[in-house]
Amino acid sequence: MPQLDTSTWFITVLSTIITLFTLMQLKISLHIFPQTPSAKSIELMKTDNPWESKWTKIYSPLSLPQQ
Amino acid sequence: MNENLFASFVTPTMMGLPIVILIIMLPPMLLTSSKRLISNRFHSFQQWLIKLIIKQMMLIHSPKGRTWSLMLVSLIMFIGSTNLLGLLPHTFTPTTQLSTNLCMAIPLWAGAVILGFRHKLKASLAHFLPQGTPISLIPMLIIIETISLFIQPMALAVRLTANITAGHLLIHLIGGATLVLTSISPPTATITFIILALLTILEFAVALIQAYVFTLLVSLYLHDNT
Repeated sequence: MPQLDTSTWFITVLSTIITLFTLMQLKISLHIFPQTPSAKSIELMKTDNPWESKWTKIYSPLSLPQQ
Repeated sequence: MNENLFASFVTPTMMGLPIVILIIMLPPMLLTSSKRLISNRFHSFQQWLIKLIIKQMMLIHSPKGRTWSLMLVSLIMFIGSTNLLGLLPHTFTPTTQLSTNLCMAIPLWAGAVILGFRHKLKASLAHFLPQGTPISLIPMLIIIETISLFIQPMALAVRLTANITAGHLLIHLIGGATLVLTSISPPTATITFIILALLTILEFAVALIQAYVFTLLVSLYLHDNT
């Protein structure tokens, strides 16, 4: 039976290992399964006004809390 | 006749170059990769198939067992595609070779068993002694359970090899008989042709079923050990 001819076993086993454990897994891991898109809440998209996003020197020194 | 019958199972070499490497590396090249949300039919079909396999196979496992999902999906895709490609005429099927199947069965089985021994040592050793056995039978039963454990990878490999090889041999024999009978008596040839058609349908089913059975058993060994 030609299946029992062990002279070719080394190359067959080597190519099977490379195929099964690297090539197939790399190819299958490229599949992307994105989640179904859901509507985002509009409130979360509110952006800050420019004077709310960065502290600016708009307060007079005497109106700051006394230290 | 013996030599001629098994000629299709010889590992193919072309002028001394082992082209069996290219044959085994063919199925991964049939898989597509796409970065789009919606791609063509071929890619969507593969995506649907992978999703079906994952849902069917990995539901019973714990999160630790589910880390094996990529391995099991690639296993079932590899065996299924090689078996189906082997049904084309004059092709070489790697899964008819004992070397390929042993190479698939032994590492996966050993991985599952070693995983079980590392993480659930007591439960893995408890598999050797089913509950409620009479005390006098214990030594013999442990020997039997050990043998049945070590025979699992052999059974996996030999089952796949024997099924696919036997199917291919039957197709060869009945196809040859039909060919010879057409010149001797056409009505008998039609009967054998119908048998051949039914056999080919069976072989399609066997190709897919064997892939499923192999992967299912590996997944079962994994479930026992996680």
